[in-house]
Order: sequence, then C-alpha cells, then structure tokens
Amino acid sequence: MQRYLLFMLSFVVTSISFSQNNTIAAGEKLTFSASYNMSGLLTEIAEVTMETSEVKTSKTTLLKLKCKATTYSKWDGFFKIRDLYESYVNPNTLTPYLYKRDINEGSYYKFMQYKFNHRTKTVESIKRKKKKIGGTYDVNSTVQIGADTKDIVTTIYHIRNLDIHETNIGDSQSFKVLFDNQEETIYVKYLGKETISTRLGKKECYKLAISMNNSILKGNNANVLWLTADQNKVPVYATFKIAVGNGALSIKSASGLKH
Amino acid sequence: MRKLFIILGFITSIIAVVFAVTPLSNLAVAPGLMALVCGLVVLFYSKKQVKSRKVIQYIFLLTIIALTITIYKAVFNTAEVGDIQKFEETEKVSEEEAIEDLEGLNLDDIELD
Repeated sequence: MQRYLLFMLSFVVTSISFSQNNTIAAGEKLTFSASYNMSGLLTEIAEVTMETSEVKTSKTTLLKLKCKATTYSKWDGFFKIRDLYESYVNPNTLTPYLYKRDINEGSYYKFMQYKFNHRTKTVESIKRKKKKIGGTYDVNSTVQIGADTKDIVTTIYHIRNLDIHETNIGDSQSFKVLFDNQEETIYVKYLGKETISTRLGKKECYKLAISMNNSILKGNNANVLWLTADQNKVPVYATFKIAVGNGALSIKSASGLKH
Repeated sequence: MRKLFIILGFITSIIAVVFAVTPLSNLAVAPGLMALVCGLVVLFYSKKQVKSRKVIQYIFLLTIIALTITIYKAVFNTAEVGDIQKFEETEKVSEEEAIEDLEGLNLDDIELD
C-alpha cells in the first residue's frame, strides 16, 4: 500500500522534453504530509520531501532532484518506510541523466537505477532486490525509450514547468514515464482554477487530474493535483485513489522558491 | 435478538478500545459508532422486554473510553519523523555514488551558459 503511496508523487507529469526551466531552482525544499483514509478519517502516516540542490562533477554542474518519504515515528514499528528517489538533470532543460530509486518499506527492498543516453534513446537499467536467503542480486538491462520519456522524479518537476496559464480548461496531454523498466503513459487534464486553503494560506491553484493506463491509479478524476497559480507552481495539495484506498498529500512548508 | 446485539456491542466496543490504544486509533471510530448503535438497540429491547440494562453501561463505557482516546490522540498527538540518521547516511552515499556514475556519462550536450 505504502509503495503506491509514494507513487502518488507521480501525480505530476511532464511536457515537452527540452523546454526551458523557468520554475525550479537549486535550494528549494517542499515538505508534505501524506495521509491515508482510515475509517473515513485522513490519518497522517508519512512525511514526503522534495528538494533540489546543485551537484558538481568534474565536467559540469547538474541539478539534483530528490524526493523522499519517511513514515512518522508511531508507524515505524508497524511499517517503516524510508524511500529515496533521486534524479540528476540538466538545470536548464530538466533533461534526466541519472535516476536512482531506493525503496525500503518494511522488509521489502528495491533499488532501481537508470542511466539515460538521449542520443541512442536507451536507458541502462540496474534493478537490485533482496534474495530470500540474504544478500542482494542485480539485474542489468537496456531499455529502449521514446524521445520524451523521463523518470518519475523529473516528471514531477516537469509539470511545474508547464505553461499551464496558456492551457484551456479540459485540455489533456499524455506523457511517457519510465517506471520499473516499463514505459507508462500518464494523462494530465487541466480542470481549471480553484482557491484552496493550505498551511501556506489560501492559494489560487491550477487543478489537474492525473490518470494512467495501468491499474495503479483508480477512479475518474479521483487523482487530482493542485499547483499554485503563480510562477513557482508549487504542488500544495493532491488527492489519490489506489487499489487499496485513498489519501492525500498536503504541503507543510516551502522554502527556497525561485520566484 | 437482544443477546445478539449485546454480543455485537461487546465485540465492536472491545475492537474499538484495541484500535484506540494503537497507532491505528482512527480505525476505532467505525467500531466505536457500531458499538453505540448496538448499545441503543439493546436499550430499546431491554425497555421493551423489561430486562436489566446493566450490560448496556459496559458497552457504552468501553465505547466512550475508545472514542475519548481516539479524539485525544487526533487532537494532541503531533506526527513526527523518527530516527532517520541511517537514512541520511544512505542519502550521502547515494550522492557520492551518483557523482561517480555521472563522471562516466557523456554530458557534452549540457549547455550551462
């Protein structure tokens, strides 16, 4: 269930692959509280953070996009989650070069790494899982991807970089995301503007419905994302419906915004 | 019928108390409400059949305890992240490994200026 929860971060999808980044800057930190519907009441179960930072290599400087999920202490005894998603991207275009996903959920462990080669449109993938007898094993593979295919973390940030103000209500767009070595199609539909109350105050937001062509996200317009209708397009609230229930992500704090 | 609702009332109220004392306290609301309904039904039958109402007090008492704990937890308990020291170390190691991997990638198409 919690595995899906984090997937909720995928409530965001991308647009044109090489559009200029006018929204995301290094040093940004967004903190969310993830809640799950229990007995009709939303119960806070985990903290989700989205951070950006600069990473220098000998050749260049990249932007690191990091999303992590950590269960609150009272849940650690039941089902401890320590999930880390990272993507190293071009700071100007948000084109991904390296993606890492390190999942620790209870006794479940999974590590995925993608090295993108945009010239050959391939991804070198490493999947690491636990053996039943102890230790881990790796599965290496090469995956063919489309020209606009991205990882889930980059996609999350890409949607904030969309020119939503130029979109008409009801407009829909599909995007390709590489998840578990599979290219998934995610559909994003603009539902209009809405003013909602958040911990950051009342915010006018762009309301976007997210759907997928697989069985992870359920319901018709049940998976909705609210982005502030300003230049930062901060995701302040999201609702999701998955096979085992529904929940919400609400923002707790935001710092280091570009605008 | 009265006996059935007494049994149901006790079962649901005990479930509510059990949930209330665990981190799953929000789950106590549904069985708690069911226990209250069962208690009211038992009260109705007890009046109709002129029988003892003592058992209803126990159902209501357990339910009130469960709901009080649940409400207290919902209002006063703040959600805090637990021990993440190991997780932070994992993050550091992951970044160091990522930089090594990035050094091996062809990043010529990045135009920073």
